[in-house]
Amino acid sequence: MKPGSAQEATMKNWITWFVTVLLVVMATSSGRSQGPGPAGAGGQGAAGGRGRQAGPGYLKLFDSNMPFNPRDLAGIWTPNSNGFGGGGRCRDCGDRGYSMEFPDFTPAGQRAFDQNIPSYGRAKDSDDAKAHPEEHIGRRRAQPPALGNDGYGQCNPMGMPRAVLYPDPVEFIVLPDRIYTHFEWGYGLRTVWMDGRKLPKADEIDFPRWWGYATGHWEGNTLVVESTGYDERTWVDYFGYPHSDEMVLEERYTRVNYDTLELKMTLTDPKYYRKPWMGETKRMHLLPKDFIKQSGWASLLEDLCAPANENEFNRQIRDPAGTGKPAQGR
Amino acid sequence: MENRPSAVVRIAGIVALAVMPALLVAHHGTNISYDRSKQWTAKAVVTEFKYVNPHAQLYFDVTDDPAHKGHYSGELLPNPAQLLRNGWTRKKSTAALFSGVKITVTIAPSRAGGDTVLVLKIVDEKGEELLGGGPNAGGPEGPARGATP
Repeated sequence: MKPGSAQEATMKNWITWFVTVLLVVMATSSGRSQGPGPAGAGGQGAAGGRGRQAGPGYLKLFDSNMPFNPRDLAGIWTPNSNGFGGGGRCRDCGDRGYSMEFPDFTPAGQRAFDQNIPSYGRAKDSDDAKAHPEEHIGRRRAQPPALGNDGYGQCNPMGMPRAVLYPDPVEFIVLPDRIYTHFEWGYGLRTVWMDGRKLPKADEIDFPRWWGYATGHWEGNTLVVESTGYDERTWVDYFGYPHSDEMVLEERYTRVNYDTLELKMTLTDPKYYRKPWMGETKRMHLLPKDFIKQSGWASLLEDLCAPANENEFNRQIRDPAGTGKPAQGR
Repeated sequence: MENRPSAVVRIAGIVALAVMPALLVAHHGTNISYDRSKQWTAKAVVTEFKYVNPHAQLYFDVTDDPAHKGHYSGELLPNPAQLLRNGWTRKKSTAALFSGVKITVTIAPSRAGGDTVLVLKIVDEKGEELLGGGPNAGGPEGPARGATP
């Protein structure tokens, strides 16, 4: 091919076309990944203690560099790139999984894992799933909800850490002797006792709870929450990782700047995992108190899972979509 | 023939086209019940609309399109919280999608077959999109916990 020839020009045109198409597709995909943000939303992620910058993927509602009390966690925090409304995850907030690290199951843990059938992640046996061997199989085994066994499909409480992994707001309600975390999605309420009581050992707990037993204390400016006694029917995350009644979860919350709350977790469960399992670092961002409004009423939405709605949805939509069979009674 | 792209360029094109779907679908949840590669668009008449959790639902008839004639039950990806965020309050939504209103609907069918579908787009007779924000409103992981966001 001669330089400057028509053949070379044609080749350049082809290359230019493909590169352009790829860039457009990638930009579109990336934009959708972050979800549409309102005007003025934005931000390249600036993890850690620095202020966040403007750019796609974030709501930018505060100056991150404003002074703050690192031990004041009261307020509404969200990992949602749009603030609320499900689906959107901001770029530095992690996904709905607990960890990207491969878990090291015991035989009992492996059995429990195999019995769970989630509907999140890449579709089981799909080309998409096969194309990502770098991901643990937990993220590559999703089945239609009608064929799965996610307890939240029947409105069972999510428990922890799953509840904090959903991309919707959580309000920290701080009282002198306790902190409530109120999750918008599921409208779940969890109590972290700050009154100095000792966390019971798992084998001392007679009756497990959906939301477990939790105590908290401060280590420097990090709130350390330790919890145990969870009902085994809850999942660790949306990908169906299991935990036993021996799970002890440590959450470490650090307010790294005015509007960023960072969460690091470690799960210890010798019955199901051979060694402590580190969670992916999650981040949430502060929302103004009046950001979420419905009929002018500012508060978390009552986004609870009502069996009356859920059962009807399952009967009319979820099950027919997953099985191809007509809805009963339609 | 002289102007045809070289083998290298053609291979690059094939690779690009092969990669595109992966880029477009990224992660998904509820979506796995539906096949977006087989989506279709038709004129329809609304029979019922429900603005409820865990997902809004649209029931409609397709009468004019022989290939798709029938009654359908549709799931919308946005839940009420997402619709609200996008400005589609319950009153506004139900006022736009009352029984008998004519729409043009784009759907993805269930992979398992049947008449349950994922509603991707609704357009009214004026050509305006209803319940906007698009099928991925709120992000790529279409709401899907077990089936819900």
